[in-house]
Amino acid sequence: MALRTKKDTKAKNLWIRFVQIAFIAALLAGMQLAVSKEWVSRVFLASPSQIVQEFVYMLKENTLWPHLSVSLQEVAVGYLISAVAGIGLGVLFVSFPLLEKLIDPLMAAIMAIPKTAIMPLLIVWFGIGFKSKVVLVILFCFFNILYNTVTGSKQTRTEHLKLAKVFKASRAQTVFKVLLPSALPSIFNGLRVTAATAITGVVFAEMAAAKNGLGFLLNESQAVLNTPRLYLVIIVVTVLSVLFVGLINLVERLVCRRWMPSRIA
Amino acid sequence: MPTIELRHITKEYENIDEEQTYALHDINLTVQDGEFVCVLGPSGCGKSTLLEITAGLLSQTSGEVLLDQVPQAGTSRDIGVVFQDSALFPWRSIRRNIEFGLEIAGFSREERRNKVQKTIELVGLAGFEDKYPHQLSGGMRQRAGLARTLVADPRVILMDEPFSAVDHLTRLTLQDEMIRIWEKEKKTIFFITHDVAEAVYLATRIVLLSPRPGRIQQIFDVPFERPRNRNDMELLSIVEKIYMAINNPVQSHDTEYFI
Ligand SMILES: Nc1ncnc2c1ncn2[C@@H]1O[C@H](COP(=O)(O)OP(=O)(O)OP(=O)(O)O)[C@@H](O)[C@H]1O
Ligand SMILES: [Mg+2]
Repeated sequence: MALRTKKDTKAKNLWIRFVQIAFIAALLAGMQLAVSKEWVSRVFLASPSQIVQEFVYMLKENTLWPHLSVSLQEVAVGYLISAVAGIGLGVLFVSFPLLEKLIDPLMAAIMAIPKTAIMPLLIVWFGIGFKSKVVLVILFCFFNILYNTVTGSKQTRTEHLKLAKVFKASRAQTVFKVLLPSALPSIFNGLRVTAATAITGVVFAEMAAAKNGLGFLLNESQAVLNTPRLYLVIIVVTVLSVLFVGLINLVERLVCRRWMPSRIA
Repeated sequence: MPTIELRHITKEYENIDEEQTYALHDINLTVQDGEFVCVLGPSGCGKSTLLEITAGLLSQTSGEVLLDQVPQAGTSRDIGVVFQDSALFPWRSIRRNIEFGLEIAGFSREERRNKVQKTIELVGLAGFEDKYPHQLSGGMRQRAGLARTLVADPRVILMDEPFSAVDHLTRLTLQDEMIRIWEKEKKTIFFITHDVAEAVYLATRIVLLSPRPGRIQQIFDVPFERPRNRNDMELLSIVEKIYMAINNPVQSHDTEYFI
């Protein structure tokens, strides 16, 4: 009986997967047809085959990788600085609550500024190159990671804090053995959300002003009405974002896997 | 010899709207070395408050807590606490959970291993050392919580309704284990429960609290040998006496509040 149900769910899953694939195939075929039969203007829509051709062309001419690598570097540097500084300052705040109280209003004010509004100022300060992009990524990510570290540690169970007291743990022991482990799920949430935000930030910054990068490529393709390239870059950015979030999920699973009850399927 | 003395302990909670909750009133109690004292009382009568004050986790409004005749301020490594739902750290394996106190106290890895292994065997958790709390049943988690306290070797163990979250049969087993461990380790135990039968089966002495404000209504001696029989007539007669006292709170001033 149990075996049978397992088989049934397997069959059902297969069926669902089939419908999904069929739907995507139909969509792609529709796009292909719509463009080749000129039902829709080629400016609005690119057919899958055009996009693939564009991809192959760009690979051959080596015009995609230079931009991709610039964006990747900007994201990596900005994100790493945000993660290290955010978690680091978070640990300080958790260790010295007075410090947090002092700086909190300032932080809240900075967090309230729409980051995109600062972009022009960043260009004035740091130019249109690498630096201004990295700074924007940091603005996008740092506060979020810091905030998640601090609020996560505040969700520590009171019993766990009492336990630390009963065993007479020092401040440092309490922070590193109780508060931070309690904050880990929240810290990873912050890292996950900002992984996608970092890529958004870089693309936005490059669109605002840049000489290279994926955002620059988007602007350029738009200017010359190269619709297939626009679609291609959008796909590249999306895949990047998915991969980055996936990487964070993987790290989280490696760190927390053993103590997290396995997720209910 | 007295281990713990509570002298004129009073506790008022100040609420946000400046309204005061009178939780404990003039509690006086002396617990002798090696005693097993159970504290009984209806919900909200201040049992947990009393335990936290004794542990040094909460400060009293007035009065004194003495450990070996020395007034206490704050927590002490001589007083261990076992919490109601075991409060294990989900990110630590059972072994590492039990080690926690030793780690804090700075014992070397080797010493920790030895002590932990002995305690794991004492509480009957052998084979589960490397599991994580979410992989254990409620009863096993409670054993691990007890082991974490035992391994640090405190003189006194305070327990706040430690078995209230497990099923009845597990509870009976855990009670027997508790007695076995108490006899072997010679600890002084201060055990909160609202189960009269549990108190009578475990205790050498039972403190009955009456509510609002919590005060000591009556103290019952339970001077019987072990192993005890749960259906022993003498035990049952004490159970009956306690129920009578609960239903006729003679000393309580505001009877209309009594549940
Ligand atoms: N932090 C607090 N602030 C204000 N009042 C409190 C606080 N903690 C407890 N009280 C009040 O003090 C009284 C005693 O609470 P306590 O938790 O000690 O009772 P208890 O006997 O342990 O109850 P239970 O059997 O339900 O665990 C209750 O009336 C409660 O509402
Ligand atoms: Mg309680």
